[in-house]
Amino acid sequence: MLEMRGVTKAFGSTVANDSIDLELRKGEIHGLLGENGAGKSTLVKILYGLYKADEGEIYIDGEPAGITTPSDAVDRGIGMVHQHFMLVPTLSVAENVVLGAEPGQGPRLDIAAAERAVRDLSERYGLRVDPTANVGHLSVGVQQRVEVLKTLYRDARILVLDEPTAVLTPQETDELFTVLRGFVDEGLSIILITHKLGELLGVSDRITVIRDGKVVDTVVTSETDEAELARLMVGREVVLQVAKEDVEAGDVRMEASDLIVDGASGEAVSGVGLEIRSGEILGVAGVDGNGQVELAEALAGVRQPRSGRIELAGEDVTALDSAAMRARGLAYVPEDRGGKGLVGEFTLAENFVLKTYRRSMFSKIGWLLRNAIRAFARRRIDAFDVRPPNPQASAASLSGGNQQKVIVARELAGEPDVLIANQPTRGVDVGAIEFIHGQLLEQRERGAAILLISLELDEIRQLADRIAVMYDGRIVGEIDAADATDEQLGLWMAGRGGPDEDQPTGDDRVRS
Amino acid sequence: MSGDEIEEVDEAEGRRSIGEILREQVVAAGRALIFPAVALAIALLVGVVVILITGNSVIEAYAALLRGGFGSRQALGRTISNATPLIFTGLAVAIPFRGGLFNIGGEGQLFIGAIAGVWIGLTMPGPGPLVAFVAIIVAGLAGWIWGAIPGLLKIWGAHEVITTIMLNFIGINLTFWLAKNPLSGEGAVPGTGFVPEGVRLTRLGGGLGAAHYGFVLGIVAAIVAYILIWRTTKGYELRTVGQAPGAARYAGMSVAANSFLAIALGGMFAGLGGGLESLGTFGKVSVPFISNLGFNGIGVALLGRNHPAGVVLGAIFFGGLAAGAQQMQFSTGVPLDLADVLLAIVLLFVTATKLVEYLLGRRARTFAAGTRLEKGLAG
Repeated sequence: MLEMRGVTKAFGSTVANDSIDLELRKGEIHGLLGENGAGKSTLVKILYGLYKADEGEIYIDGEPAGITTPSDAVDRGIGMVHQHFMLVPTLSVAENVVLGAEPGQGPRLDIAAAERAVRDLSERYGLRVDPTANVGHLSVGVQQRVEVLKTLYRDARILVLDEPTAVLTPQETDELFTVLRGFVDEGLSIILITHKLGELLGVSDRITVIRDGKVVDTVVTSETDEAELARLMVGREVVLQVAKEDVEAGDVRMEASDLIVDGASGEAVSGVGLEIRSGEILGVAGVDGNGQVELAEALAGVRQPRSGRIELAGEDVTALDSAAMRARGLAYVPEDRGGKGLVGEFTLAENFVLKTYRRSMFSKIGWLLRNAIRAFARRRIDAFDVRPPNPQASAASLSGGNQQKVIVARELAGEPDVLIANQPTRGVDVGAIEFIHGQLLEQRERGAAILLISLELDEIRQLADRIAVMYDGRIVGEIDAADATDEQLGLWMAGRGGPDEDQPTGDDRVRS
Repeated sequence: MSGDEIEEVDEAEGRRSIGEILREQVVAAGRALIFPAVALAIALLVGVVVILITGNSVIEAYAALLRGGFGSRQALGRTISNATPLIFTGLAVAIPFRGGLFNIGGEGQLFIGAIAGVWIGLTMPGPGPLVAFVAIIVAGLAGWIWGAIPGLLKIWGAHEVITTIMLNFIGINLTFWLAKNPLSGEGAVPGTGFVPEGVRLTRLGGGLGAAHYGFVLGIVAAIVAYILIWRTTKGYELRTVGQAPGAARYAGMSVAANSFLAIALGGMFAGLGGGLESLGTFGKVSVPFISNLGFNGIGVALLGRNHPAGVVLGAIFFGGLAAGAQQMQFSTGVPLDLADVLLAIVLLFVTATKLVEYLLGRRARTFAAGTRLEKGLAG
């Protein structure tokens, strides 16, 4: 069906794809597995004509594909569903689907024909969507269906999905996979890109593992298991299950009640209450965009809540800013490394004092003590094994994993009492994930109170002692980690099955 | 409350060897100079075509250009004299830029500074040097105020590019009105009277013509700007706000206060430049007054990659080109305008980072960082 042979692509001195061979058979789901930065995205961007390969060929049905632009790729029957959707929110489903290939004569758009075509497609493939609905009003899962319909409308025979489950609840993921199996029965072929190994085992036929830009192996799914895939992906044995010590939860270190917080577009947190105790990790699960960022920022003093109360060890700290919160022992790892956690053009040394530059050890009467700052940075870099170990390197020059280590190293300096970590392992390699998880558990054993917000349910289930689920600005459910099931959490994440589903009250207080 | 004691560190651990610092500085300077150098080379090539079209000898024209800018003491004096206000108007763009703002208002700020300086020079009694000192301070203060207005408006949501452009019109015309009415002097040329000789800035002497001590003050201003931006906590905040406002909020810094400070500081430097120009070079504010120094400051800052040292070099380059062009026109007949064409081309290429990246290959991308316009406009 599709064959990529010896595909090589270098960016400057880094080789993103090194002589990659990939063969996609007709009617199979082919998993493309690799860590962040392994070269998966580069490879499919070459396939889709967004990048030009330095070397290598692509064949479709045995003929050279000759793809140099995305429209070539579409002509050859390749459809791509990007991780970040390419939809126009103000247009209807049908208008979005036909965009760029509109039915009708001349300048006239035959919207009825478009809606008919979309309805036919969605019935044929079991993708339930209302063609007249406004895309901006649809949930993320349904928007993804629209993206898939776009490719089907253009007669795609090869479907490429880039991390499609990142935005879905477990139930939505199952639903998507059922649909994908249906496509395969209809004769389509699918490339499914992911860094979550568990998912591929259930749905794919074969899996190609990429590491450092090279194909490590292509395996038949039914003949492999999670441990083997992890080893192939990382290149060494990986401990999939983190060892968690038993720690008795202590006093309440941080408490929030009736928090209402405004986001960029209106109210984002609508009455959240929670308690975090010493020696425990409270995990907050939920699909992206349900108020997690605003909640974390309000708790950390970065965003002033509209109403509600935040207490730190009994003291009312609702009105304090983030520097004052830091001075009271609150550490905060934000979800956006590049935009919030670090200043990319600053050196590592400068980044290490982002919140503490006013302290007397780092500045005197407004004068930066650069040697002291550098010495401090050097220590933290050594302690957290940041690479390169150079305090003068710019933050932007580091890999995602090392950038995240810098943030964690900075925030954990001085043994904070409370740690708020929002997606601390997003987009980092497995080595960094292991390290950061280890640090979180170490802080927990030391007695810190930790709020861990994550979109990765696995991460929450592994680390948290209690799990709260956020949906539409509220905490809709809370459960002991030991009693949690994916089904229950998934229902909550979709906003269903909450304790007060029909009448959310102002007091969704979570207690242990 | 415990939990926030960061372990003490020994400062000596952070000290670096002279060799390491030197190496780093040389590399940084090399990177900084690559863009302007490529741009200049392209500009000179285009200039060849222009000179050939005018029917002149390329070698003679360029030799005259160089001679007129740097070939003699008089030439050097003219270059320095031209460069002096440009250092200040360059800093007036570069410092706000570091804070994430694009100051187009250098022209108005310079005019306001010039008239404020002359006002003190004309009206304040006392010994000349003291009057000059106060006049320069007041010129800086006036510029600060003229920069603070868009700073305030920015906090209320008005984009600084729009407000600084509008304030240019107000500043320039207010200056002209003041010069023609309350401060009007006698003489054929409309404008203020001349400030007393004792108030005017001393010339550098040594055959450098009209060049005065304002140039030295310009160098000092650049050094002060450097120290402020890179060595103080205030500058650290300002740079954080400019480069990553999200990170600044995350760290608890005030984006509004630092934006305000950045553009007010810019206004202060432009005002100082205006005061030195009126008190030093001209001794008065005439109508019309020297023009485009504020706008050329944008070019100087771009050429100097918004670094104080780069601004000084950029100002000297601008000044030298203007001085050289006169010589070139005088001795070869290539029109004065060629200098403007060359400047425009240099700036085009310095700002067209993508193009130069393409010419130099991908590695150039990191070099381009300080030159990107989008950053300043995005705020």
